[in-house]
Amino acid sequence: MNDLAAGPMRSFLVFDLPVLVAALLALIACGTLGNWIVLRKESMTGDAIAHAVLPGLVAGFLVAGRHSIIAMFVGAAIAGVATILIANWVRRRTKLESGAALGIVFTAFFALGVALLEFEGARQVDLDPGCVLFGALETLFLIVPANGSWIEGIPREIWTLAAAAVIAIGFSIAFAKELAAIAFDREHAQIAGVSPRWLEQLMLFVTSMAIVASFEAVGSVLVIALLACPSLIAAPHASSLRSRFTISLVAGCVLTGCGYLLAAYAPAVFHTSTALNAAGMIAVLLSAAVPLSFALRALLNRRSA
Amino acid sequence: MTSFLDNIAVIGQNTQLALAGCTLFGGVAGAVGTFVLARRRALLADVAGHASLPGVCVAFLIGESLGIGGRTPWLLLAGAAISALLAAWCVPLLARLRGIGPDGAVAITLSFFFGLGTVLLSSVQSHASGSQGGLRSLLFGSAAATNRGDIIALATLAFAALMVLIALFKEFSALAFDEQHAQSLGLPVRTLDLVLMVLLVATVVSGMQVAGIVLVVALLVTPAAAARAFRGSIARVTAIGAFIGALSAAIGVILSLRFEELPTGSAMTLAATAIFFVTLLLPGRMMRGALT
Repeated sequence: MNDLAAGPMRSFLVFDLPVLVAALLALIACGTLGNWIVLRKESMTGDAIAHAVLPGLVAGFLVAGRHSIIAMFVGAAIAGVATILIANWVRRRTKLESGAALGIVFTAFFALGVALLEFEGARQVDLDPGCVLFGALETLFLIVPANGSWIEGIPREIWTLAAAAVIAIGFSIAFAKELAAIAFDREHAQIAGVSPRWLEQLMLFVTSMAIVASFEAVGSVLVIALLACPSLIAAPHASSLRSRFTISLVAGCVLTGCGYLLAAYAPAVFHTSTALNAAGMIAVLLSAAVPLSFALRALLNRRSA
Repeated sequence: MTSFLDNIAVIGQNTQLALAGCTLFGGVAGAVGTFVLARRRALLADVAGHASLPGVCVAFLIGESLGIGGRTPWLLLAGAAISALLAAWCVPLLARLRGIGPDGAVAITLSFFFGLGTVLLSSVQSHASGSQGGLRSLLFGSAAATNRGDIIALATLAFAALMVLIALFKEFSALAFDEQHAQSLGLPVRTLDLVLMVLLVATVVSGMQVAGIVLVVALLVTPAAAARAFRGSIARVTAIGAFIGALSAAIGVILSLRFEELPTGSAMTLAATAIFFVTLLLPGRMMRGALT
């Protein structure tokens, strides 16, 4: 039991599997909601939220002490929703384009978060500024207790991500009709009696939550890849909303798995001792797949024509 | 005792140099930012900042393997500029694909380049010598971590960008005011946009070491947005943007040198944001500004 490196299978179960499962759960949570975000052409809103939740996370952390999930979630969700509301206010007041208004607000939130983090990090090192950007996927591993079931050894992040994935899917199924209405035609939805405001706020809240859950594991930048890329990969191939969700999640999961394996085993193949960042590798594969997917569509069209 | 005093003098001199260089960068960022905002390129500045990371890492590895040291300022700037330009070139190409749109194009480009940078950085960090510590400070910016060579390189680049902006000021002003009007005057709109993109990348790259690659976009966007609260000609608004940018950068450097834990990029961004929110409260803002 004490020898963790007993056999390749065991090392896979203890070190590789938790990371892979965490990455896949983050993809499912973000990729599902990302479909709605991409349809509404708000990908960069997701990026802004991913940066802006940082001060909320840190504040929650400071108020509640070490890793209180609830406090960090509440803090981050407030920061995420506040970013969008303030950006909207700035845009109305200045008539700036939405990208610029978002840019002003999310950089301010992120700068505040980094400053808080650095000041706090000087005293107690638990959240690392580097991890904020790049994620801490590699630090997840299964703790196998000497006596006790292995379920107790599953890291907290995996439970959080699993909950986020379930909520994201549940939300998308429960409000599928209304979400589709506001995604495709907001004005029409309003006339048809769907209240876009109310649903948009809820959507914002659920998205912030999924981002926070993924943020800690995969970092602030991969989150945007998880949100936008799966849906865009599916875009040229999907004929219906249902097929778009299916294609995006299947392709996303396959690419995430490949990305992780590439990061973990490529160094061994090339005989270097370097460990490559798995979150970055997954982001590279997901984003590179989008133009390839469009090229594949063009090729298929030419073949059938 | 003498050596102690000498040390103080040297530190003082370096600090003054850093302060001057950063102030120049902030001013140029505020001026270039005015046109970036007018041409609705704010998100491109975000992409350019993030996308400089893989270029920096490659430049570092090249420098190490050539034996001239990974932290050669000019090499890092060139690497950053090449990858940022590549990214800026990718965005409009991707945006043309049906169903992606400008928003999706920005998201894809940003995650590809920053993801690649992340992978390369993990490789750099396990690879190299003591000078790799300097690469970490690129993320959130650190004026304290720069040396003389860094500051001279960044100031030269920022100065060059400023000269180009001044030389083409009339053309850029016409373009910022009204694209169709500029076209009817016979101005090469596409070429001017290309030059503006190069200026944007030059500004972002020159600021990356002190403002950090994640937050450098704030120095382009926020001071310029604050300047739009003031009425007057484009030249006046640009000058105010430059002033607010320089002021934010200087405040950021001073605060970050005073409080060791505070990253320079964070301090600059927060200073610029504070000024922006003050201008939001100005009465009668934006009513007859040239750039509404």
